[in-house]
Amino acid sequence: MKSPDVIIIGGGVVGASVGYYLAKEKRKVYILEKEYPTAGSTGKAIGGVRQQFSHNLTIRIMIESVKIFSQLSEELEMDIEWYPGGYLFLAHSEEMKNNYLKAIAIQKSFNLPVSFISPEECQKIVPSLNLENLLGGAFCPTDGHANPFKVTYGYLEGIKREKGKLFSYTEVVKIKKEGRDFSVWTEKGEKFSAPIVINCAGPWAGEVGKLVNLEIPIYPERHEGLVTEEAPSLFDPMIVDYRPDGCYFFQFHSTRHIIGCYTPIPPVLGPDNSSTFQFLTEMPRRMQRLIPKLGEIRILRQWAGSYEMTPDGNPIVSETEIEGFYVVAGMSGHGFMLAPGIGKLFAEMITKGKSSIPLDEFRLNRDFGKKEVMR
Amino acid sequence: MKKRPKIVCRCEGIEEKEVMEWIKRGYRTPEELKRILRIGMGHCQGRTCFSLLVRLISRETKIPPREIKLPKRRSPLKPVPIRILAHFRDEKP
Ligand SMILES: Cc1cc2nc3c(=O)[nH]c(=O)nc-3n(C[C@H](O)[C@H](O)[C@H](O)COP(=O)(O)OP(=O)(O)OC[C@H]3O[C@@H](n4cnc5c(N)ncnc54)[C@H](O)[C@@H]3O)c2cc1C
Repeated sequence: MKSPDVIIIGGGVVGASVGYYLAKEKRKVYILEKEYPTAGSTGKAIGGVRQQFSHNLTIRIMIESVKIFSQLSEELEMDIEWYPGGYLFLAHSEEMKNNYLKAIAIQKSFNLPVSFISPEECQKIVPSLNLENLLGGAFCPTDGHANPFKVTYGYLEGIKREKGKLFSYTEVVKIKKEGRDFSVWTEKGEKFSAPIVINCAGPWAGEVGKLVNLEIPIYPERHEGLVTEEAPSLFDPMIVDYRPDGCYFFQFHSTRHIIGCYTPIPPVLGPDNSSTFQFLTEMPRRMQRLIPKLGEIRILRQWAGSYEMTPDGNPIVSETEIEGFYVVAGMSGHGFMLAPGIGKLFAEMITKGKSSIPLDEFRLNRDFGKKEVMR
Repeated sequence: MKKRPKIVCRCEGIEEKEVMEWIKRGYRTPEELKRILRIGMGHCQGRTCFSLLVRLISRETKIPPREIKLPKRRSPLKPVPIRILAHFRDEKP
């Protein structure tokens, strides 16, 4: 009989993290993944981790996440390539600068070592940065990056050590509550059952919701990324340029590849994840504009994936009207960095009835009207 | 004499021993092993190592090589400098 304590639908970084912290609390966890772990959005993430947000709860969770990231290699017995190289948000207009100054005031109230630095100081951190029109930048040295593949597989191996199981190439197609337990069927006709089912299906969370007649407002939005060959060490932080034709990129400390993406305007809605020539040419232009010296470095690969957007850009971490059915999804493009913190806090909710940082603001039946400024 | 390790992916320096370890943990497709170990993520983009990888998976799982799916190919097919790609956008139509 396939009857664990908890069934998690989705083997991305969020499902893996949620599963790991539940398994550590001695819950028997099964993860059902329709392809292989990281096949969804997680395998498309570039790996940035930051605490610089303007939303209090997100800042608190990210402080928790960074604490976890910094000792996760030891805990998981796997090098997750965590490196606190910082995040530098560039301001090219007064409006941008004021937005950052406001956010910094909030971030400082949580004791983050953030400051607004001059263009010259930016150039010290990022040598050969183009200073044209630059008014300075918001810098937090304790932000950083890690490897999404390593984090996900590290968590999954951790779940297996706690007697949990991963079922790859196992798509959930039907869910029915029968008495206290849910019966969960896969496309191969296998049946699992458990009293708790957690929807960690990322951009597909809405579709999984439909299997139990729940409306979950999560929509895929296409984002493209690219990676260069290994380059000499050039800079430490993630560089974020939020101009309409800006971009963000950083250099992996471990492998020295430069990796990055941008947010297209207008957004590209829908599940189509094809790569475009537009991005393959436009992204290099934007990178080279910020650091002209990048010109000779070669692009190795491009890809596309989904941000899993909610209407207000904040996650859904919630119980639902169906007792025992939970949603932890809709990380709105920040799921890699949020996963450790949210996984741990959600596991507290399940096992202790209450999390050390309350997550009520992320419940499913909230008013989705307000928006995160540092999207 | 010390036995030299067998290398599967030369660009990333991945040894057969590591690959076998992860296959034994239950990760049996080239897509998964690529992501865990960076096989085929280097300069040559898997031109030589993917066929070696398929043989190792086949040996361990007894799945015939032709039934093992190779990872998706990603453009550009050869590394191209940022300068050249950016140039496409500098030219005004
Ligand atoms: C280009 C790009 C760059 C990004 N960069 C960053 C970054 O720097 N930092 C950051 O924090 N975030 C980043 N993100 C966002 C991040 O990738 C996501 O927020 C995160 O991966 C979401 O994880 P997840 O586990 O919720 O979803 P996923 O990784 O998509 O996992 C969901 C899984 O569910 C499976 N599934 C779906 N339906 C079913 C079913 N019916 N049965 C079984 N399994 C099912 C899918 O196959 C999938 O593997 C980026 C995203 C993109 C596209």
